[in-house]
Amino acid sequence: MKNIFPKLSMNKKLALIAFVLGLTAIFAGNPYRGSSVTMDVKELALIIDKQADHISSEELAGWIIQEKSDFKLLDLRAEKEFNEYHIPSAELVPLAELNEYPLLRNEKLVLYSEGGIHSAQAWMLLRAKGYKSVYMLMGGLDEWTDKILFPKLAQNATPEQTAAFEKMKEVSKFFGGSPQAGGVVEEVSAKKSIPKLEMPSGTSAPTAGKKKKKEGC
Amino acid sequence: MNAPFFKYGLFGDDVSLVVAFVIGIGFGFFLERGGFGNGRKLAAQFYFNDLTVFKVMFTAIITAMVGIYYLSVIGWMDLSLVYLNPTYIVPQTVGGLLLGFGFVIGGYCPGTSCVSAVTGKIDGMVYLLGIVVGIFIFGEIFPLISTFYTSTPMGQITLSQLFNIPYGILVFAVVMMAIGGFAAAEWAEKKLGNKIVEP
Amino acid sequence: MSSTSTEVHHGPKPYWNPYLSGIGLGLVLLLSYVIMGRGLGASGAFSSLVATGVSTIAPEHARANTFYNEYLADTTKSPLKDWLVFEVLGVLAGGFISGALAGRIKKTVEKGPRISVRGRLFFAFIGGTMMGVGAKLARGCTSGQALTGGAVLNVGSWAFMLAVFGGAYMIAYFFRRQWK
Repeated sequence: MKNIFPKLSMNKKLALIAFVLGLTAIFAGNPYRGSSVTMDVKELALIIDKQADHISSEELAGWIIQEKSDFKLLDLRAEKEFNEYHIPSAELVPLAELNEYPLLRNEKLVLYSEGGIHSAQAWMLLRAKGYKSVYMLMGGLDEWTDKILFPKLAQNATPEQTAAFEKMKEVSKFFGGSPQAGGVVEEVSAKKSIPKLEMPSGTSAPTAGKKKKKEGC
Repeated sequence: MNAPFFKYGLFGDDVSLVVAFVIGIGFGFFLERGGFGNGRKLAAQFYFNDLTVFKVMFTAIITAMVGIYYLSVIGWMDLSLVYLNPTYIVPQTVGGLLLGFGFVIGGYCPGTSCVSAVTGKIDGMVYLLGIVVGIFIFGEIFPLISTFYTSTPMGQITLSQLFNIPYGILVFAVVMMAIGGFAAAEWAEKKLGNKIVEP
Repeated sequence: MSSTSTEVHHGPKPYWNPYLSGIGLGLVLLLSYVIMGRGLGASGAFSSLVATGVSTIAPEHARANTFYNEYLADTTKSPLKDWLVFEVLGVLAGGFISGALAGRIKKTVEKGPRISVRGRLFFAFIGGTMMGVGAKLARGCTSGQALTGGAVLNVGSWAFMLAVFGGAYMIAYFFRRQWK
């Protein structure tokens, strides 16, 4: 073999190299990384302690209104609940499908579920898989409903609270909610009705979907 | 090493555009080196006179395939982060046929026509214009064909998953197919040869 | 290496050994995967161009069309500030560099001896148009589908590749006057 190789024409040498590499491939194994994970427990504990893993409803609302496109919003609930209502621009990713869902390790991910338990579990899972910027919506959809969709103003509110409420009213209306001042609903309907699934004009579909598609030729 | 670098956030969007330009230079350079700026040489592929298109394309595919495979196996690259174009089998096959017709009739494909145009081939420039018009036509009729466009979706799927054959064995099979194809191509060129070596 | 390459040449240099060009091309593709996690492309850049053009002339019309809108949706930046657009600019530069180094830059029309220049240019235009429609329908061209997807064993890419070669061989006979 040693003596023959230099005598071969270049094309034959290349073919031989290709053959050897190909043959080795049969035994080299699976190129995909397994589902085993590693995590830095100390680092995670620190993050949790500092609450650096949360974003508030107000913050998220702000991002959506400003049409920020540098994050992906993931709804971890079941499809049925998602169809009833979801935060504009959210993508449906039931917890069980999280492992297969195409996410990039370099994008900001915001998770939410009904309360906080599911998103906390998903947060842990994603962090363990090496996703660096994963956040949970503080208080989940429950808090979103209370704070953004149906903000309330107590009758004995301080001036600061009133000012904050006035600001919030705009935000709430943007998302189709109905602000409630002094215990009385401002809108005609007295009943809290979850807004219809129409996205406010100007809020475009999640950008990550676009990116994915455009990566092709 | 953690590849793909971009997906691990080693640099941002703006830097990625610089990377795009540099990678493009390499792409264009080797296309031109191989003779892909020459419509006659490209079309000769389909008359069995000069099988350069087949040779260059498959060498490139197996080089990249073997490279990606080994980098992933040794853990330097995360293959699951590599972008996989989703498969829509029927529209893609029909598109491929149309593209094959366009290849023989026009003499180029989009990448090669860029190289051709920039090295002074007027037919390459006209071809580029044709592509732009073609895409415009596609855009205009898109509402009519969007159902067909999204028909027969199979998701992001590899041959390994489809046939349930281990990835490594497929790599070997493709390499063997390529080597066999190259040997056959060399033989055919000798038989029917009318190779275009010079521009 | 082909024997001709060792002879002394005047004028343009011969093309490289196809396997060496292929390895070069493959390494560029591999580099793209390692750095970016994506492959190469070409026709996508022209889609951005067309979408930008249409939206400049008829913004309403472009917005209403899902295909154009795909390229226009991110309003924070110009649709031309796109990865593939810059990559194709690189292709133009790289092709020019290689052509210039080998003395292959020449104003000419590539055609067989039996067809007029005008006829050849007509077919080039028609071929380009078909390619444009086909590449969009297939979600990629020879670079974006066949090469890029071929290397990661993408099912659609391999089906596409077979179709391209199949389609080309199917009709090659009828267009032989153009080339031979």
